[in-house]
Amino acid sequence: MLNSIPSFTRLVSELAKFPGIGNKTATRLAFFLLRQPEAETEALASALLDLKRRTRFCSVCFHITEEDPCQICTDKGRDDTLICVVEDPQALLAIERSRSFKGRYHVLHGALSPLDGIGPADLKVAPLIRRLEQGTIQEMLIATNFTVEGDATALYLAKLTQHLGIKLTRLAYGIPMGSELEYVDEATVNRAVEGRREL
Amino acid sequence: MILECLKAYNYRNLAATELSWNEKFNVVYGSNAQGKTNLLEAIYLFGHLKSFRNARGSDLIRHNAETARLNATIKRHKVRHQLEITLAKAGRTPKINGKTVQKLTQFLGHLRTVIFTPEELGIIKGYPAGRRALLDRAILQTDPTYLERVQEFDRVLRQRNQLLKQQSSFKELIPWNSAFVRTGGIIRYERINYLERFRSQLRLVYKEITGGTETADVHYSVAPGALQCLTEQLATDLDKNYQREQKLGLTLAGPHRDDLEFLVDDRLLRTFGSQGQQRSFLLAFKAAQVVDLEKQLKESPILLLDDLASELDASRQEGFFSFLLQRQSQVFLTAAQLPKLAISVRQTASYFKVDQGMIFLTTPE
Repeated sequence: MLNSIPSFTRLVSELAKFPGIGNKTATRLAFFLLRQPEAETEALASALLDLKRRTRFCSVCFHITEEDPCQICTDKGRDDTLICVVEDPQALLAIERSRSFKGRYHVLHGALSPLDGIGPADLKVAPLIRRLEQGTIQEMLIATNFTVEGDATALYLAKLTQHLGIKLTRLAYGIPMGSELEYVDEATVNRAVEGRREL
Repeated sequence: MILECLKAYNYRNLAATELSWNEKFNVVYGSNAQGKTNLLEAIYLFGHLKSFRNARGSDLIRHNAETARLNATIKRHKVRHQLEITLAKAGRTPKINGKTVQKLTQFLGHLRTVIFTPEELGIIKGYPAGRRALLDRAILQTDPTYLERVQEFDRVLRQRNQLLKQQSSFKELIPWNSAFVRTGGIIRYERINYLERFRSQLRLVYKEITGGTETADVHYSVAPGALQCLTEQLATDLDKNYQREQKLGLTLAGPHRDDLEFLVDDRLLRTFGSQGQQRSFLLAFKAAQVVDLEKQLKESPILLLDDLASELDASRQEGFFSFLLQRQSQVFLTAAQLPKLAISVRQTASYFKVDQGMIFLTTPE
């Protein structure tokens, strides 16, 4: 029945492409938009277009930005000798939210996964090496995800940069803050015991 | 652990009846193709979330139905739990006490099952993969988190093989090599440790079943050693095989290629074993697994015996039943005809007849 309203169907099909959104939710969203005043719809449309037109990847760290280089790269208050390597912009934002890191970043845009056809050439590895070779950076904190692929990427970077004499560190893993041991799953406890440290 | 009740909806040919089981012996009998093995498979599913018959998930659902559901009431350490498995074409959803589990490993271990089935007899003469799976399933019953380590290893192996197929440079292989060596070393270490512990039980039980004339043994194709030695050995093998692996596009050495040797009186069962020896060995393997589970977890698993009578001669059956009587395990036994049981078993057993998927309690005359 909805097929008789082509503009509506078109919007539903577009919305249904979103991650986590199926046909039903897409239809609900489309009805919501239909009932909105036109000004609201225009605001949404221009926000969508702006996102695409104004943002790009920072030419230094490959984070999403409107100005190139990005604010983090041009921030004079940050430590130039320290760099944190992450898989994606979401991971960068997670670390920024924690306010625990005051160095520079580098976004790889993925992790090595031969099964998905992702090799080093598909990641922003070469620009990272160029940055490291400039000689300012003294420590590289590898903060790729704790998956089989994230671990392999970390190892790959470590091997690749060995000769540069940079201090290499990996995010610690184990028990989440504020959690009680009894509620933590076995695999995490296992890793936390393996990665124990001296007091 | 005791299975108190089982309900099946749209599961294979089983009718949707609720059945209460005997805490000790359950004898399930009926003609062929009536649903006896389907019942055992349903119980087995709670312990493994997989069929022992190599069936895909959709095979378990009744013809023309969309989903199937299994509900079990179990008793563990005096506490009752409701377990549920919903099977759909897309996959299975296990629940404990009405709550969906975050990880499969949380579900596994609530109802541990050990099965003896003629369908597994092929394992002894078959490919190494079958014997590895037999061992992995045994370890998994004592430690459900083993599953996560196996899955991690499998993922690394597949990633590494993909790189080898692409003829990638050695530099790209390095991170996968170290991941392979680390995860593979752990798998070998756990398998060897399990067998070292398991071996003495196997010998004892085999003697008990066969009447003490022969000695059974089991060897892993890799010699025991500390975890570090096993990892180093894997690393050496990777270096040695690199050229050939590059050519063939697969990983030549590792836990995914290892084998188990089953021996009776120091002779390889695969080549020299008689039919009777093979059956006794497999049964002893399962029985030793039961004893090991009892020792490790202070809890008896549920023993599923599929068509045992057709597989063992009278004296070996006798030996096995005397072994069973010493156990705390709840037993489910299927047979085409009413089996002749030892008097002590007969007195405590409940009898169920299976007819075209219908199961009902009977009192045999």
